[in-house]
Parts: sequence; structure tokens; C-alpha cells
Amino acid sequence: MSVRPDRREFLKRVGIGVGVAAMCGQGAAALRSLVPNVSYDAPTTVKIGPPAEYPEGMKFLPEQRLFVFRQGPVFHAISAVCTHLGCTVRAEALSNVETRQVGGSPVKLTHRFLCPCHGSRYEGDGENVAGPAPRPLAWYELSIATDDGQLVVDLAKPVERSFRLTVA
Amino acid sequence: MAISPEGPEVQPKSAPGVHPRPLWSLRPASDREAGDAVVANFLLHWFPVRALADSLRWRYSLWLGTISAALLALLVLSGLPLLFLHVPSVERAYGSVKDIENVVTFGSWIRSVHRLSAHFMVAVVFLHLARVFLTGAYKNGVGRGQRREWNWVLGVLMFLVTLFLSFTGYLLPWDQLAYWAVTVGTNIASAVPLVGETVRELMLGGRTIDQPTLTRFEMLHVIVLPGLLAVLFAYHMWRIRKDGGLASADGAALLPAAAPVSAAERATKTYTLLGVARGQGPRIRATSLERPDVSVSSVPDLTRRIAIVMLGTFAVLSILAVFIHSPLEEPANALVTPNPAKAPWYFLWLQEIVTDTTIHLGSFTINGAFVGGVVLPGLLVGLMLVWPWLDRSPAAAAGRWFPRSRRTQNVVFLALVAVVIVLTLIGTFARGPYWRLYWPWQSWPDMPTRF
Repeated sequence: MSVRPDRREFLKRVGIGVGVAAMCGQGAAALRSLVPNVSYDAPTTVKIGPPAEYPEGMKFLPEQRLFVFRQGPVFHAISAVCTHLGCTVRAEALSNVETRQVGGSPVKLTHRFLCPCHGSRYEGDGENVAGPAPRPLAWYELSIATDDGQLVVDLAKPVERSFRLTVA
Repeated sequence: MAISPEGPEVQPKSAPGVHPRPLWSLRPASDREAGDAVVANFLLHWFPVRALADSLRWRYSLWLGTISAALLALLVLSGLPLLFLHVPSVERAYGSVKDIENVVTFGSWIRSVHRLSAHFMVAVVFLHLARVFLTGAYKNGVGRGQRREWNWVLGVLMFLVTLFLSFTGYLLPWDQLAYWAVTVGTNIASAVPLVGETVRELMLGGRTIDQPTLTRFEMLHVIVLPGLLAVLFAYHMWRIRKDGGLASADGAALLPAAAPVSAAERATKTYTLLGVARGQGPRIRATSLERPDVSVSSVPDLTRRIAIVMLGTFAVLSILAVFIHSPLEEPANALVTPNPAKAPWYFLWLQEIVTDTTIHLGSFTINGAFVGGVVLPGLLVGLMLVWPWLDRSPAAAAGRWFPRSRRTQNVVFLALVAVVIVLTLIGTFARGPYWRLYWPWQSWPDMPTRF
């Protein structure tokens, strides 16, 4: 073959190149079509009922996979999603309640949390103490809806453990 | 053919490349007839006309590959009716599987055949892999152009596809086992740094487990993975032919050449051994392979054995499925994780290692989901894939059980297998609610099932 490819060689390369490009385009389009553009997921900001309906202590909301704690007018919410592989942890009531400073203010630790999938264990404030869990359970932001006064949780917004919502 | 009233009837000549004798005999009277049987038959055309006798020994290969293929055939056969009956919708999948169990005639048996074959296939494919490792059958012998290590790589890939087929299969009833297996499985994927979250979203078809998730896993289970397995299977078989048969038969090429064939015999002999490695180097040649004690006709010696193994597998599975029924857990419930939530037996060792491998280094933590779910299995698979190139034992060690020169690596392999088996046993018998350890004879405490 000469140093300068002749026309036949050039056309052959163009043909192969176009063929490869077409196949790649088809493949890329097929894969891209599988990436969803619209999310039909449940909204992450959810109204979870008026604060008055919450009992003193803890209430589990299975739909939101959330534990809501109440001490008088003070509320906070801890996720029930295990930080290891995402199973729903179960709350176990403790016989002797301990009060601990969490994020600067006292919290009554009435429960501990256990994961049925791989045995992770969390304290009442969500701290991981045993098993494979790499992180504490997430705390989520609570607020009051401006229209009807219900509690609102934002499941996309983890907060520091100093977060408290005081309902007047 | 033109019909002419006069003259003798002319037998038409066969076109070039067309075999004139479509029929084949189970008991061929001559080598010629035995050869015809293979060449003219679609089902048999992928076999050599003559097979090396050493390849067919029961005690060498244990026929585990053929059993795997039989199980695959059974899975396709039993999967087809299930495909007509199963409704791949999150609302109706569970109900349709219940119908298969309780309403459809023979439905429960067909589902049981499918499920048992899947369980057996995981076990038998693994045993096949273990047999190939222990006999060093991925090693090249004396034939030029042998590339057995690539067939081992294909085999490892097929084992992974088998596992992924099982995983996607037990999701389809959309019961509690399915839902929480998807939860854990896709979270293992999301534990991979950087790309993990994207991979999980791609698997789920969204951020939460919903209809797109079931659709995706169903398509993987019935189209993508079986198709991939079929291609790999065909390639695997083709490579055996190109590598000159099983490793146990390599020695045949070293034997002295056969005695000269008499002219009378040669007249009836039209096919020679087709299953030799390409290149036909000076050391592997038809002369020594034509010794009558080295090879046998594929029809009937190979076909008879395959028929025995396939029919035996079908029979055992069909009968077992009458007695062993398939379980179905409660319908998928996103609100309650079962306690304990156990994977099927072949994934329990993984469930054990994701439990035990979270590493805390001061304030720095590596999730066990990544170490035990991605890094360790990835290392094991990687090691298996490259092992044929690390194995420096002599070619003479290929195709023999427990040769001295491969003793150390066989012991290491068996030790790793033993670790996996022990972890599986712990997961099966010693794990109770909250994944705590209980002795098999200890009873589990009563746990509230839901809040």
C-alpha cells in the first residue's frame, strides 16, 4: 500500500466508520432511553398529621419509614432506614429510660433500633453502636404546614442532631 | 426431476455440500453410518464424528456440564408456561403466582420444576467449575492452538449469569423475599463510590422500588440474561471442539501412531476425527488419534451417554418437584422488613460477609456493603478469571484429578470453598431474628411481627 491511501481505501474506511458510528448510536440511544426523565416517586415532603395527634414518646410511621418523637411541645424525627443496606429497622422499647444530651439539649432515649437484615443496632438517638451500620440513622427536618397546621417532614433533608421543632 | 415415461428412473445427484442421507441410526452398523449420523443431523452436527474415549469417562468429568445444560433446557421448558401465566405488574404479580400455585392445572408442579432446576443449576454449575479447577482442565495440553483458559473465562461468566438469573427470578413473585432482596441488592450496588447511586437508579428505573423495577428485572430474567447465556453456552461448546476435546484426552496425542490401516478398512472410512485442535501440529495428528483404543464413534457412544444424563436429570427433577413445593412469602410490603430477612442459600455467605466487613478506622468508616458486597466478591471473581495465567504447573497436570504438582493451589481453592460453605451454614442455621446468632437447637424468641 502506498503512503497516501487511495480512494478505494478511503471509502472503505469511511464505510466502516459510518457503520461503527451507527451501531454505537443505536446502542447509546437504547441505553439512554432506560434512564428515566420523569420521576413518579412519592413526594419527599409529606404532611404527617396534626401535632396534637402524636402521643408523648414515639410513633412509627411505616409509609414514611419514620419515627416521630415527642416530649411535650418538642418534636424530632429519625429515619427508620438502616444506613447499611436500607432495610427498615424495628424499635424496641427500653425498660429503663435514659436521658442524654443530644445536640445540646436533653433527649429521653425510650427505644433502641434493631435491623432484621444484618443485625445493626442503634441507640435511641440514632447512633450506630453495633453491627455493620456505617453511619447513625438520619434525622429529618420537621415543620408546621402554614395552611392547616399539620406536621410536615422533608425526607430529602437530613438535619443535624441538634434539630428540634417546638410547637407552641 | 423431469418425469419421462421411457428409460430407467435416474437417481438425482445431491447438490454440492448437501448430504444425501438424512436418516441416522442409533445403532450404526459401520463407521460410515456413524459418521453420517452426525453430519446429516441438525441436533448432532456440533459433535465430532469420533470422540476421544478419555473425554467420555464418567469418573473424570462427572458429566456436570451436561447436567447443567439439561437443567438449563428444563428451565426454559418450564419457564415458558410460567411466562404465559405470570403478570409482571406490582399489583398483580403476587396474585398471578398464587393462581399458578392453586388454580392452574399442573401450575404448582411446573413452578416447582422451574424453582428446583434453578437451585440445582446454581449448585451443579458451581460443582462443574470446581471440577474444572481441581482437574486443571483449563490448562492447555500438547495441542497447538489450544486456548482452554478462555473457555474457563467463559465458564466463570456463565456462572455469574446463572447467579444473576436466579436473583432476577426470585424477584418476580413480588413477595416479601423479592421486595427486600431488591432493596438489599440494589443498595449493595449503590455502595460503590461515585457511580453507585446512578447504577441503583438505573436498576430500579427510579429512586424507589416500583413498577419500573419489576419490569426491568422481568426483562432481564426472560430475555436479556437467557439470551446472553445461550450465546455463552454456544461459544463454550465451540471452544471445547477447538481445544481438541476435554483435557483428560490430551494424552491420546502422545501415543504411538496407529498401525497402518489396511486398504480394505480404508475404503469404508471416510471421516476422521474432527475434534482436534487447529493447526494439527507435528505432535497432535490423526495417525495416533486413529488408534481404535483411543476414540469411539460419537454415535452411539457419546449420544447414548448424553441421553442417559439428560433423561436422568429430567426424571430426578420431575419427581422431586412432585414432593417439594415452592414457597411463597407474604405479598411484598414496603412497610415491614421480615425478621430475619434471609437470602436464598447461595447468597447467604454474601449476606454473612456484608454483615461482618464494616471497617471502622477512627472516625473513618467503610460500609460492609461495599467491602463485603462489592470488593471481596469482585476480588474472588477477578482471581478466578486470571487464575489460568497464574497457574504455572506443567502441562502434564492438565485433565487429572489432584495431581501432585497442583496440590497447593487445589488446597487453597478447597479452603476458600470451605470458608464459603461454613458462612452459608452459619447463615442458614445459626442466624435468627435481628440476624443474631442462635444454635440450631435454641428456639428463637417471640418477636412482634409488625408495629
